Formats: sequence, C-alpha cells, structure tokens
Amino acid sequence: MAKVVGSFAASHAPNIARSWNSLKDETRDWLSTRYGELGRRVKALEPDVLVIHSNDHWINFFLDNIPTFLIGIGDEHDPPPEPFMKGLFPQENLPGHARLGRHILDYALESQFDPSYSHRVKIDHGIGIPIWRMGFDEVPPIVPVFLNLVQEPYPTPKRCLAWGRMIREAIEAYPEDLRVVVLGTGGLSHSIGETTMGWIDEKFDHACIDLFRTASDETIAAELDRMLLETGNGGAELRSWSIAHAAAGGKGFDLIDYIAMPETLIGCGLAEWKLAA
Amino acid sequence: MTDYWLNKLIFDLQGPQGKDDWTNRREEVISGYPVSDEMRAALLADDIGTLLPYVNPYLMRFYLLISGFDDEKSIEVLSSFQTEEERKRVNG
Repeated sequence: MAKVVGSFAASHAPNIARSWNSLKDETRDWLSTRYGELGRRVKALEPDVLVIHSNDHWINFFLDNIPTFLIGIGDEHDPPPEPFMKGLFPQENLPGHARLGRHILDYALESQFDPSYSHRVKIDHGIGIPIWRMGFDEVPPIVPVFLNLVQEPYPTPKRCLAWGRMIREAIEAYPEDLRVVVLGTGGLSHSIGETTMGWIDEKFDHACIDLFRTASDETIAAELDRMLLETGNGGAELRSWSIAHAAAGGKGFDLIDYIAMPETLIGCGLAEWKLAA
Repeated sequence: MTDYWLNKLIFDLQGPQGKDDWTNRREEVISGYPVSDEMRAALLADDIGTLLPYVNPYLMRFYLLISGFDDEKSIEVLSSFQTEEERKRVNG
C-alpha cells in the first residue's frame, strides 16, 4: 500500500526566480539554505511521488472556467510558460503519476468531493519554484493539484482541511507500494496587484504559524475565515498549508524558517509536519 | 466588479508577443476586444485608477509589469488608491 511519508509547505513567490540574480546576497543565501534544507528533508524520505497543491496563476484557467479543485492525472505535464521559469528543471517536461492521480480523483468523487481533472496541465511558478529550489537531480513524478485562490469565491478553509484529510486517506488506499510526499505551496502573507501591494502582514504570518503548531482543525478553519478578511489577497494561499497540515493528521508542525522578505513581496516560510512513525 | 473582456485582453497578453504587442500596437490589440469606451481610454492612458476595480489583482500585477511598472512603481501607484482603513491596516 502507498503511504504518506512526509508533508511540507513552502512559499512560491515569482520574484524568487524573476529577481534571483539581483536579490541581495543575504536574501539569496537565506533562500538557498532554507529551500536547500527543504530539499534535503524531502529527498531523505526517498519519495516515489510528490502530490503538490498550489493555485494556478492565470496560466491554465481563465474566467470562463475556474475549477475550485483540479487534479492532474496525466503521465506528463508542461513546464512553466513564464519567461523567468524557463530551463530551471532537469527535465524539459515534468513527469506525472497518472495512476495515483486517477486513483485520488476516483477516491475524491467517492468521498463527496467533485474535483475537475486534467490529463495535462501547465506547471506554473506556484509548483515550479519549490521544485526548482529543492534542487532535484531528477524531479520525481508529481500529481499536481490546483485550487482556485486567485478569483473569488474560494474554497473555504474548512473544506481545504477536509480535502487534506481526504488526500491522506486516498493515498493510503492506493494498492501499489509508493512513498508519497505531500507539499502545499504559497503564502505566507502578501498583497499582489491591489492597493496594499507590498504589504507583508507579519502579525498574520505569526498567527498562522501558531495555529499550525497548536490549534485544532476547527479553530484553524474559524481563525483563517476571520483573518483572511483582513490581510492581503496572497494570504489566501494559506489554504495550501492547511491541506498539508490536514494530510499530516494535524500534528507535528515544524517550522523550517520564516522571514518577512520585501524583495520578494512575501512573508516567506517553509515547514514540515513530522509524521508519527 | 469583473469586466470579462478587459480581463481577457490582459490575460491574452501573457503570450510570447504580449509585451511587444502592448508596447507597439496597443490600439490594435484593444480593438480586438469589446471593451467599453471608458476602459479603452483608460488602457490607452495607463489610467490605473479607472481599471483597478474591474481587473483581477493578479492580472493587474501582470498588466503593470508589461506596462513598464517595476515593483516599486507598482506599489507607489497602487497605494495612491488606498482607503484610510487600508492605510491604517498596512501601517499597523
């Protein structure tokens, strides 16, 4: 049977790639060491598959068709089309894991979720930046899962937590022996293309970190409902963290590091949920 | 408020020719979309304040980038439309 061997979350600001060569040395060093540590931890788990949750940033979807949840069930996915993401991966296209993707889709449908699906998605910076900075010699097969976090209405935090629990169950119901790492990308606070652009809401970020350390799912859902109304629009991406949290069973949060990073316009954070053996 | 065609115009500029088209053939690009006269004028004039309520923020970010606004300039122009409440929130 497959099993979840790790659950992680990491920020994915496009400026990490777009501005890489012009970042201050200390910023680049911070990013290199922390994402390097993330990569070290993930690689040590020897994953066969990465199930990665992120939001599309107007690459795959537009206002004529916005899935709330979408599972990539193809054997291969396209690399990011964004110019600043060109050539950052060892493989030209990114391998998918069609069988696990299809299994998660079927399991979700039987669990009262109704996700969309795609046989081929374009990976954008949301998934691409953590993969790039983790420094794989060869990127393992991925099951990309997109959730809508760019155009309201969004899935509720409560629903995202339930999705995360379902993802764990689905993986553990897969008959083949696979070691699976779950990753949620995005956040922490940022404000993009709105009047508060550039605002890094450190109070929000630390409150979220505290919630993942200590709070119940019910409290996390209620607090995110409230807090997300008062922070920048990028805070919506904490839903991806909540999915990673729930997939880990809601325990074991271990912050790799956090810093407010104005050069990348985000509160930049990385975390692992240490799973019980 | 969401203006479908205004957002569609900006979304389509994400292609490889987008920046060049927007820089050199702006009127021609706009003519391909049924946007209102008010939005057409705002696009031609980089009138961010008029566009802002109708454009998805992530597409606005992209629009500012291809219109030549770097991060600092984008923040400057967008923050000029902050409400008093937003100003208080951002400044703690």
